[in-house]
Amino acid sequence: MEKRIRGGRMPSSQAPQQPPATPRKERRPSMFEKEAYAQILRERLRESVHDVQYVEPPFDDSVADIGKEWKSALAKLKFANSYRMEPLKKFQAHSVETKVQQILKESLKDVKYDDKVFSHLSLELADRILLAVKEFGYHRYKFIIKVLFIQKTGQAINIASRWIWDIAWDSWVAAKHEAETYVALALVFALYCE
Amino acid sequence: MEEYHRPCDEVGFNADEAHNIVKECIDGVLGGEDYNQNNINQWTASIVEQSLTHLVKLGKAYKYIVTCAVVQRSAYGFHTASSCFWDTTSDGTCTVRWESRTMNCIVNVFAVAIVL
Repeated sequence: MEKRIRGGRMPSSQAPQQPPATPRKERRPSMFEKEAYAQILRERLRESVHDVQYVEPPFDDSVADIGKEWKSALAKLKFANSYRMEPLKKFQAHSVETKVQQILKESLKDVKYDDKVFSHLSLELADRILLAVKEFGYHRYKFIIKVLFIQKTGQAINIASRWIWDIAWDSWVAAKHEAETYVALALVFALYCE
Repeated sequence: MEEYHRPCDEVGFNADEAHNIVKECIDGVLGGEDYNQNNINQWTASIVEQSLTHLVKLGKAYKYIVTCAVVQRSAYGFHTASSCFWDTTSDGTCTVRWESRTMNCIVNVFAVAIVL
């Protein structure tokens, strides 16, 4: 009988009392905890989109396997120690800068901004600059060339680079070429391979 | 004479980890912000520096170069190309393009192996 009364009472007194809808201000959890991270990400990324453009080495399985075999074969090979602590010829930034500036000027003289032309011109220029830098003959150096073309339409652009390398032997060069409708920027990084 | 045998880590540059790190850094700095001329220098510097510190924390024997370009979003043309001369089995690169309502950000990471 008591049960029935209790059962009868419950629906009548059912006034849904929801907790106050104020968001509780808690200490923001660390960014690197899995669940908290997803929540923070959702909050921040209301309007943004990201995309991974290009990744190398290619994630194709066959290619990765080739690398693995080669690499393990290399580990078994023991190279004789060359006892060389420093490069034969240190990277001279100023001579490379004049050369790169000259290449930019020659290739971009009287070239107007054009979408299709520039997309393969940028690759071509990057390859050409790479060849020219290799011709200098710096042994055991690895090079990274970056070429950027920005159309001048009144927008602002900010470009920054940072690196971790051996400051004794590694260096970089930047060359800029400005035209009426666009700006071309070439960056060359040279890293000594120990 | 015993030779130092390098511990066998995974082959080549792990681009997956690198792009996660970079994505987190960009989201942390630029997430939810609008383009602001006063802060832009500070933002690009902090994106690049933070990505670099996190990459170094991975503890791998690599030299890193991180480049970041942040552009105000409008109608403009932008081309970028890179050409590299390195050991393709051990070195790699990763590019992350990030967009929001008012700006575009492109971050490029180059990792060059140090042969110990």
